[in-house]
Amino acid sequence: MPLLTLEGLGKRYRQGEVEVTALHDVNLSVEEGEFAALVGPSGSGKTTLLNIIGGLDSPSSGRVHLNGIDITALSESELSDFRLLQLGFIFQAYNLVPVLSALENVELVMVMQGRHLHERRERAEHYLQLVGLESMMHRRPAALSGGQQQRVAVARALAAGPRLVLADEPTANLDSENATALLDIMHRLSHEEKTTFIFSTHDPRVMERAERIITLRDGVVEGDERIEQHRHGQ
Amino acid sequence: MLLFIAWRNIWRNPVRSLLTIAALGGGVVMVILYAAFLEGMTRQMVQYATEISTGQMQLHRQSFVDDQDLYATLPWHYIERIERRLPEVVAAPRLYAAGLASAGDNSSGVMIKAIDPLRERRVTKMLDHLRSGEARFDAVSSNEGVERRYNVVIGTQMARNMHLNIGDELVLITQAADGSIGNALFRIGGVLRPVEPNFDRMGVLMSIEAYQQLMYLEEGFHELALWTQDLTALEQPQQPQQHVASLLTELHAEQPLDELGGAAMVRNWRQLTPAIADMLELSKAMVIIVGFIIVGLASLGMLNTMLMAVHERTHEFGILLSIGMSRWWLLLMVLFESLFLALISAVIGSIAGTFVARYFEQYGIDFSGSMPDGYDWGGIVFEPVMRGHFEPQHLLSSSLLMITIAMLASLIPSWRTVRMKPAEVLR
Repeated sequence: MPLLTLEGLGKRYRQGEVEVTALHDVNLSVEEGEFAALVGPSGSGKTTLLNIIGGLDSPSSGRVHLNGIDITALSESELSDFRLLQLGFIFQAYNLVPVLSALENVELVMVMQGRHLHERRERAEHYLQLVGLESMMHRRPAALSGGQQQRVAVARALAAGPRLVLADEPTANLDSENATALLDIMHRLSHEEKTTFIFSTHDPRVMERAERIITLRDGVVEGDERIEQHRHGQ
Repeated sequence: MLLFIAWRNIWRNPVRSLLTIAALGGGVVMVILYAAFLEGMTRQMVQYATEISTGQMQLHRQSFVDDQDLYATLPWHYIERIERRLPEVVAAPRLYAAGLASAGDNSSGVMIKAIDPLRERRVTKMLDHLRSGEARFDAVSSNEGVERRYNVVIGTQMARNMHLNIGDELVLITQAADGSIGNALFRIGGVLRPVEPNFDRMGVLMSIEAYQQLMYLEEGFHELALWTQDLTALEQPQQPQQHVASLLTELHAEQPLDELGGAAMVRNWRQLTPAIADMLELSKAMVIIVGFIIVGLASLGMLNTMLMAVHERTHEFGILLSIGMSRWWLLLMVLFESLFLALISAVIGSIAGTFVARYFEQYGIDFSGSMPDGYDWGGIVFEPVMRGHFEPQHLLSSSLLMITIAMLASLIPSWRTVRMKPAEVLR
């Protein structure tokens, strides 16, 4: 059974007098452990699709089943719990809490999950070590580079133990070196942790590492390609 | 963790937070100071109502209260019986009459008040409020050594109006109790500071002996002012009043009073000076009303700060919602930030307010240059130095008032976080 299933997903919204179709009849399924890229030009519906999968936005039509749960039928508070327990998010602009240190940022989601201090501290340190920031875990975001902040965001997303990590253009603000390093970390952790990743991008470096490329254009799935050899090449 | 984040968040923009704290803390200082001044005035009002001339309770006959009936007197032995039965109570008898005063070419209607100076000093502080001369009521011989004249004490305004000084003579004419025209020559022994507007304009204070010789009224007294050593009687005068009332019933049973003068009655200072009692209640309400206004205005600073903070961090809140923070956590976080600001303001405001209120308690605001006799407000003459009175409970009430209003003001920005749609704010 696939981890994620999208059935006839559509999203329309009004922009002034005009009705815009952001997504139209999107049907997809994603298996557990996949490292999939959503690609397409700006305005193709990548972020809208990620928002709907993440329960941040609601579809105009269709269903989203994640881990057997129809998230389109969940209430606001159920969605909030769902995001907390099942999903990890990585955003384009790092989006760490500026008043918390790297360690505290990673711990934050686990605090909300109600995990014990000892457990969350251990996990946070472990994941910061995995992303290579063990020596900087007490620094606040302002004292970290963009690449380092995004690595903290990856550690935050993974430390809470999600089934699915959604990343919206995670490398868009990073230089080539940092982007490559981040992708390597995400890819490695995806395999080590058996965590499913779906990320939107139009960065060719990201697409190179993806094991599946789903192409969107004008809100419609235009292509869906699995690249098995890429994984084997790693 | 929420408290921790909230605490750190308020120092993200320290200048803005400090300005908010200054506004709220300043509001607390103002409320404390206002409450201190009002408490000072209130205490002066109670002092005026009790210590200066009224006492804590008074006895009268009904006809005297209703019609100022000259013959509605209480027997002299009541004083001894009351003091024997209620040892904590001291009593001062008084007699009243209306008359006409004349000195040189000036004349004026007067209110004659007769007292027993020794007893009066035990019950009230009226005789301590002399402006000039002495509180002496004895009889002295005239320059020629023939006729004896009693000393009287008059009000300041009356002395001014009639151009009277210490040692001057004053003729009083009145209708005596036997129907005859009573008249006598008196000597001005002292001038009383304004303690009561009516007395200040037309009051003549004399001894009971002098009164009896002028009025031919010896059967009793019109008024008995009572003072009890139990200070709780000031706040709750009903209990000693009941004791006196039951004693009056006994006394009446032993020796019934004549029907014309009506029954003997005892009233406490709140009943005797209802205007002051009302003003005391009003002043309590005023502290709350003015407190609301001052702190309400200061809380606009809090509203602005939190609205700006929420507005600036809209995207951040969107992220927190995305990663699973519940809307109520977010609301709590913003409320905690407001609470921290309010608590810091309360502490700083209370410390500063204590110093300011203590200063004005000690030094007051001195109006004696422009108003040497004090000022008359609502029929009460206040001292020319307006002093505050610091009450520690004002710190708590002012701080609680500020925290409540500030938290109410922060509900608006907090509620905005609850209504956020993550997908929209992240866009």
